[in-house]
Amino acid sequence: MYRVKDLFEQHGVRLELELVAGSSGLQRTILVPQANRPGISLAGYMKGYANKRILIFGRLEFHYLKDLDVKTRKNRLRALLSPQTPAVIVARKHRPPKELIDLCEERGIPLLRAGMSTMNLLSKLTLLLAEEFAPSIDLHGTLVEVFGIGVLIQGESSVGKSEAALGLIERGHRLISDDVVRVKKKEANFLEGRGIALTRHLMEIRGIGIINVAYLYGAVCVREAKSIDIIVKLEEWDDNKYYDRVGIEEKTETILDIPVPCHILPVKPGRDVVLLLETIALNHRLKLLGYHSAKEFQSKLLEKISNGENHLG
Amino acid sequence: MDSATKNRIELEVKIKNPMGLHTRPATNIVRILQHAKCCVQFTYKKTTINAKSILSILTLAVPKNGKLTVVIEGEDAEVVLPKLMRVLESPLEDISVL
Repeated sequence: MYRVKDLFEQHGVRLELELVAGSSGLQRTILVPQANRPGISLAGYMKGYANKRILIFGRLEFHYLKDLDVKTRKNRLRALLSPQTPAVIVARKHRPPKELIDLCEERGIPLLRAGMSTMNLLSKLTLLLAEEFAPSIDLHGTLVEVFGIGVLIQGESSVGKSEAALGLIERGHRLISDDVVRVKKKEANFLEGRGIALTRHLMEIRGIGIINVAYLYGAVCVREAKSIDIIVKLEEWDDNKYYDRVGIEEKTETILDIPVPCHILPVKPGRDVVLLLETIALNHRLKLLGYHSAKEFQSKLLEKISNGENHLG
Repeated sequence: MDSATKNRIELEVKIKNPMGLHTRPATNIVRILQHAKCCVQFTYKKTTINAKSILSILTLAVPKNGKLTVVIEGEDAEVVLPKLMRVLESPLEDISVL
């Protein structure tokens, strides 16, 4: 549940907000991530009025209110400020009319004042709310940035996720989070993972204990957030299982409705997981640049076969 | 009913340890679950984590009297449950279960 208090405390500085009245209503829940310039509703047309949105008052609204007589002004504002209205924000540090202040105080609706212009406020607020309301999920895994690619390493406990990540860090790659990754779906339709504040940049290595990577390896080896570009699932080597040998088929796994390319990487003594992870990340980069090793080889092979050329030629 | 649904246990536990779910009880939980085949998840304040990982448990930072939802799923769920409950519900670190 996202409350007006959270918006005020987390983004108050960015939106240059100050509380004018209705502090008793700071606990109100924001139900929809939308803001509304009352416009036509202020003129008395209340059909289809979306009362769950945050109300934004700009210069025009105040000019219009000023032109109304006191009684109408009160009635219009009364109709606008419904029990569901989470908050009212005034742009450009306008001084809200006394009726608005009184009404907000009476109904316990927070009345805030922002420093920026109405349009600026509207777009910033919409973006912030969309971000806050974006679907998110906590996943078990380790998120590392390898050659600029966000790699989410997953697998059973004790398969060696943390050890693999430590190896990657040692080779100059970056840790975002070990064990718990909070994944958020971003507006541009990609996933972003970050750690949870308390255990950010901490790792647990069997036999050593909890270590802080940021202190051990320095600030260059950690990152706060990163997009999740590929998933690598580590699993114990199973002789009876068939593992991908060519790499033409691309598996994906869906997280929050977004498909992410997924590789299954079997682990056994002697396989250098760190090197393999680097290779997967590099190969992914190559694909992004338009070169698909497996497909390229496949098409060359087919061409040769169809031409009937000698394979030694 | 297939075995997967049969061996699913979900319950709510109130943490009695005066210091909450701190490092020592978390270590004990991980030790109990180390060889367990079942999947164990804890949920506290809408955050769900894998209980086999100590850092994940510590991430929750459950205080005394915090209500933790525990889900155990897998063939040895019934074996794991009593051991796990003893650690979660005991007010002091009880290592006799290990």
